[in-house]
Amino acid sequence: MGTTLFLLGVLEIMLGQNTLEELQEKAIQGAVQRVSPTLVQIETTGGTEVISAGGGAGATGKRRPGPAAGPGVRKGSGPTTGVIVSADGYVISSAFNFANKPTSIIVSTMDNKRYIAKVVATDQSRMVTLLKIDTTNLPIPEALPASKMEVGQTVIALGRTLGGSPGSPPSVSMGIISALGRIWGRAIQTDAKISPVNYGGPLIDLQGNVLGILVPASPQADGETAGFEWYDSGIGFAIPLDHIYGILPKLKLGKDMRKGLLGITMQNKDMYADEVVINSVAPNSAAFKAGLKVADKIIAIDGKKVESHAQLMHQLGPKYEGDMVSLTIVRGKDEIKLEKIELSGSLESPPLGFFGILPMRDDPTKGVQVRYVFPESGAAKAGIKAGDRILKAGIGPDITKVTAVAEVANRDALSTLLSTAIIGSFLAVEVKREDGTTVTLKGPIGQATSFLPEKPPEKSSLAKLDKEPEKKPEIGTIKKQNAAGDRNYWVSVPISYDPRTSYGLMVWLHPAGKGKDKDLDDLFSIWDQYCAEYKIIMVAPRSDAELGWTPGESDLIIESIRHATENYNIDRKRVVVHGMGTGGQMAFYLAFQQREMIRGVAAVGASLGATPKERVANQPLSFFLAVGDKDPIRETVLDTAKKLLGFQYPLILREMKDMGHQYFNSITLDTMATWIDLLDRI
Amino acid sequence: MTFLLQASLFAALAASFQAGEMSLNDVVQKVNPKMVKIYGSGGFKGLPAYGTGVLVSPNGYVLTVANHLMETTDLRVHLYDGTRLPAKLVAMEPELDIALLKIGTDKSKIDDLPFYDIVAAAKAPLANPGTAVLAFSNQFQIASRDEPVSVMKGTIAAYARLFGRIGIFEAPYSGNVYVVDAITNNPGAAGGIITNRMGDIIGIIGKELRNEQTNTWINYAVPVNAELEVKLADGSTKKISITNLIEKKEAYKPVTKASKSTGGGGYLGIVYVPNVVDRTPPYIEYVEPGSPAQKAGLLPDDLIVYVDGLPVVSVNSLLELMQKYRPQERIQLEIRRGDKLQTISIQVEAPPKAVPSKGPETKGN
Repeated sequence: MGTTLFLLGVLEIMLGQNTLEELQEKAIQGAVQRVSPTLVQIETTGGTEVISAGGGAGATGKRRPGPAAGPGVRKGSGPTTGVIVSADGYVISSAFNFANKPTSIIVSTMDNKRYIAKVVATDQSRMVTLLKIDTTNLPIPEALPASKMEVGQTVIALGRTLGGSPGSPPSVSMGIISALGRIWGRAIQTDAKISPVNYGGPLIDLQGNVLGILVPASPQADGETAGFEWYDSGIGFAIPLDHIYGILPKLKLGKDMRKGLLGITMQNKDMYADEVVINSVAPNSAAFKAGLKVADKIIAIDGKKVESHAQLMHQLGPKYEGDMVSLTIVRGKDEIKLEKIELSGSLESPPLGFFGILPMRDDPTKGVQVRYVFPESGAAKAGIKAGDRILKAGIGPDITKVTAVAEVANRDALSTLLSTAIIGSFLAVEVKREDGTTVTLKGPIGQATSFLPEKPPEKSSLAKLDKEPEKKPEIGTIKKQNAAGDRNYWVSVPISYDPRTSYGLMVWLHPAGKGKDKDLDDLFSIWDQYCAEYKIIMVAPRSDAELGWTPGESDLIIESIRHATENYNIDRKRVVVHGMGTGGQMAFYLAFQQREMIRGVAAVGASLGATPKERVANQPLSFFLAVGDKDPIRETVLDTAKKLLGFQYPLILREMKDMGHQYFNSITLDTMATWIDLLDRI
Repeated sequence: MTFLLQASLFAALAASFQAGEMSLNDVVQKVNPKMVKIYGSGGFKGLPAYGTGVLVSPNGYVLTVANHLMETTDLRVHLYDGTRLPAKLVAMEPELDIALLKIGTDKSKIDDLPFYDIVAAAKAPLANPGTAVLAFSNQFQIASRDEPVSVMKGTIAAYARLFGRIGIFEAPYSGNVYVVDAITNNPGAAGGIITNRMGDIIGIIGKELRNEQTNTWINYAVPVNAELEVKLADGSTKKISITNLIEKKEAYKPVTKASKSTGGGGYLGIVYVPNVVDRTPPYIEYVEPGSPAQKAGLLPDDLIVYVDGLPVVSVNSLLELMQKYRPQERIQLEIRRGDKLQTISIQVEAPPKAVPSKGPETKGN
C-alpha cells in the first residue's frame, strides 16, 4: 500500500508536464547512459566464414534433434559486444561471437582505447566466453539479483555493434521479461529483439542494472549457434549476470566449465512420460560410478520429486561438471538414496567392435568369404586367412568358453553381430577353408578405430559375370533434373559398370562457387580411373546458394542419392559424402542427419565446429579428413579429428605436405579410394 | 482502501493519455490519410508488385523508394480510402534510393490531400536511440486497397551507417539510417514511414536488406533529413538530399557517381600469407625491399588489424579497402606485432610496373 501511495505521488508530479511515453523515453536514455561505460566493442580478424552448427547433449546426456541445426551459420564481418565484469580487465561476451575461432580479438572500450584480448575460458553450459584485456580501473555494471526480476518487467537490450565507433551510443531494443528460468533453468527470456547486433551485450532494467548477458539459446540444442535462427523474432535469451559474477572466480582459472551430466538415457522416448526409468548407463559416467543400473526408476533429485525426464532436466540443467547431486531411486521393491553423485562433464560412448576381416561382396553362397585379413587384428590373431568361408559365429567374454553357436547367413548378419560386441570379448568362428577342411578359430574383438588403411586385394566380388547382362542402365556422365524440375545434379557411372556387381556411391559436395559444369567435369576426370578400379559411382548435386550449401538443399542431395540407389546396384555399406570447404561442412551435417543412408564422410579442408553426435549401433559412420599443412584452418581440422575420435568414430586423418586450402594430392586420393573400399570391414 | 487507491492510480494513468497531446489512436488517424499504396511492376522472382508511399504535397506528389515498381507504364496509387489514381515517376535519386511520383491526371485537379511537409520535418533534430516510433506501411499488402496501411510500434535502436546488401550486391544507399527494433522492413513496406509518437515523420522505410556486419536482416528507415556528399565522375563533389529532390521535383537531375575504382589502389609492397580461405587473416608474409611498407618498418608476421580506423577482418577485405587509395596518400595502419598494438603511418605509392608474384595463390599490394 505504501508503494501505491508513493507511485501515485510520483505520477502526479510527472503528469504535470509529460506523458508516460515521454517519461519512458527519458528513463531509457538514463538507464542506457548509466550502463554504457561498461559496454565494449569486440572486433575479430580471421577465423572461419561459416560456423558449423550441431545438436548436442541434454543435461542427462541424451541427445535430441535441434531446431534446424544447419550446416552452418555465416558470421557477419562486423564488430560484436561485450560487458566488463571485473575492473582488472575481464570482459564477458556471448560464445557465439568467437565460434568462428578468430585469429585475433581486439576489445575497444568506450573511450576508444583498443586492447588485444585473450580468451580465458568459456562456460559451455551457458555459452558465455570470458576475455581478458591488459588494463585496470574499468567500470563494472550492477547485477540485478534474481529475486528482483519479474515477468512483465520492462527491459532494454543493448549492443555495441552498430554505429561504428565504440564511443557511439549503444543500440537499443525494448521489451519485457517473457519468462524466467528458461533453457532448463539457465536463462531469462525476453521479447526484445536479440540478434548478432547485441549478442554479448547486456539486458538491463530501467534503472540501468544488468539482468543478464544476451546469447542465442535453444532448449532443444546446444552449441554456440543454437537458437540463432530465432534472432529478432521476439524470442531472445540472457544469462543472468548475477550468476556470471558467481562463477567468475572459476572461469578466471582458465578452464572451460562444462554442463553436469549424469550419463543415462531413459527407456521412454517421450520426455514428458510419467516415469523416469533408466535405459542405459554410459561407461565411467557419474551414474555408472554411483552404481545406477538399467531399469532403475529415478523418483527424486536433491530431495525434489521427479515424475518425468523433463522434470529431471529442469533440476540438472543449471548444474556444472563436478557439482554434486543426490538421487532417490526405486530398484525392484527397494527405495535407495544415493548421495553425493559428482556430475560428469563428458561421456564415453562404447566403441564399435572390429574383428578385422574384409568380406567378399555379391556373395551368392551362405556364409561370409574372407577377402582380406587386417594385419594385427583379432582375425589375424585367430589365424583366419583370405579365402576362408565363415559359416558360424559366437561371442563370449572368455576365450576358453566361447563357441561358434549361430549360423552366419551373410555379410550383414556378421556385421550386426559385431556391432553390439563389447571390446575385449572374443569371437569364435567356424570356417571352411579353401582345402575343404572346417576349423573353429577364436580371436579378440578390437576397436574399429585402430585399423591400418592397407590396400586389399583387388578382387572384391563373387558375382557371376559369365554372360552379358540383359539390361544396362545409363553409363558415363549424365545430367539429371530433380523431381521439381528446378535443380539438377550429375551422375557419373564407370563405362565398365555391370549391374551384377555392387558399387560404392560417392556424393560430391562442391565448395562454394565451384558448382559449374566445368568444375564438376574436372573432378570427375580426377576420379575416373579410381571409380573404375574401386567400383564407385559418383553423384554431384549442385548448390544454388552463392555462398555455399544451405540446410534446405539436403533434399536435393538425398534425391540424388536415391536416384543412384534405385537405378544402380549400390552397396549400402559404402555410401559416402565427400566435400571440400563449405561442401565438407555440408557433408558432416548431412551424415549426422541421415544416419541410415550414409556410412562415410570424406572432408577436405573443412571442420566441424560443434560437438559431433553420438554413434548409433548398426549405423556406423567413418571419417576421412584431409588438410593441407599450410591451410589456415588446419588447426580447426585437427580439432575436428580430435572431437570425432573422442566419440570413438573410426577416422583417418591425412595432412598434405606443402599444401594450402587445396584438393587432394594423388597420394591422398589413393588413400581415400582405399578407405571407401574398406568401409564394409567387419 | 488499497483498492480505492489503485483505482485512482488507473484513473491517473488514463488521464495521462488524455492530458498528453493525443492518444495513439488519434496519432494513427492523423497519419493514415497521408499514406498511399502503390501498385506497379513486379510479381516475379519474389519481387512484390506492391509498395508504399507518402504524400508530400496537397496536389499529389508521393515520396517512395526507387525500386522495380516504377518499371511500368501502368503505375497505380490507392489513397487511404481506396480512391484509385494513375501515377507517374517524376524524379529519382538512386544514391538516396528515393523516388518522387505524381498522382492524378491533367484533367482531374487534386489540391487538398493531407500531406507531410518534408522540408519542415527535415529541420527537426535527429531522434535518439530509445525514442518510441510508429511504422506505417503496406507490408505484405495485408491492408486491402480501401483499408488504411498497417501500423507497428517500436523503438529507435540506433542511428548508424548502413552496411546493407541485396544478395551479393551492396545496397545503393550507404549513409546513416535509423535502425528500428520492430520488424518493419517486409515485402511492400519500402516507401512507408516511421514517425515519432506524435505522428511527425522522421524516416522513410527502406528496401529489405541484409546487414553485412551481422549477416541478419536489418530493419531501418532513411532519415527525412538524409544528406549525402557524392563524389562525381569529374572529380567534384555534390550534396544531395531528400529535401532537395522534393523542392526541385520535375527539375531534379540525379547525380552520376564516380566509379568506385578511381583510387587506382595504393601500393604498399606487402605480400600476404596465401589467401586460401574466406577469412585469411592479413598476416604479412614478406615485405618488398624498398617498398613503402619497408620504409615504414613493417615486418613479416605483423597482422594488420585496422586501416585508417576501419577494422580489417581478412586479406580480401584489406585488398578491397586499399583499392580506394591513390598514390602519395598517407594512411594509418594499426598492426598487431606479437601481443602489442602499434600504429604505423605509411605513404602509399604507385605500384611498380611488374609486381613480383609468389605463385597463383599469393596476392599482394
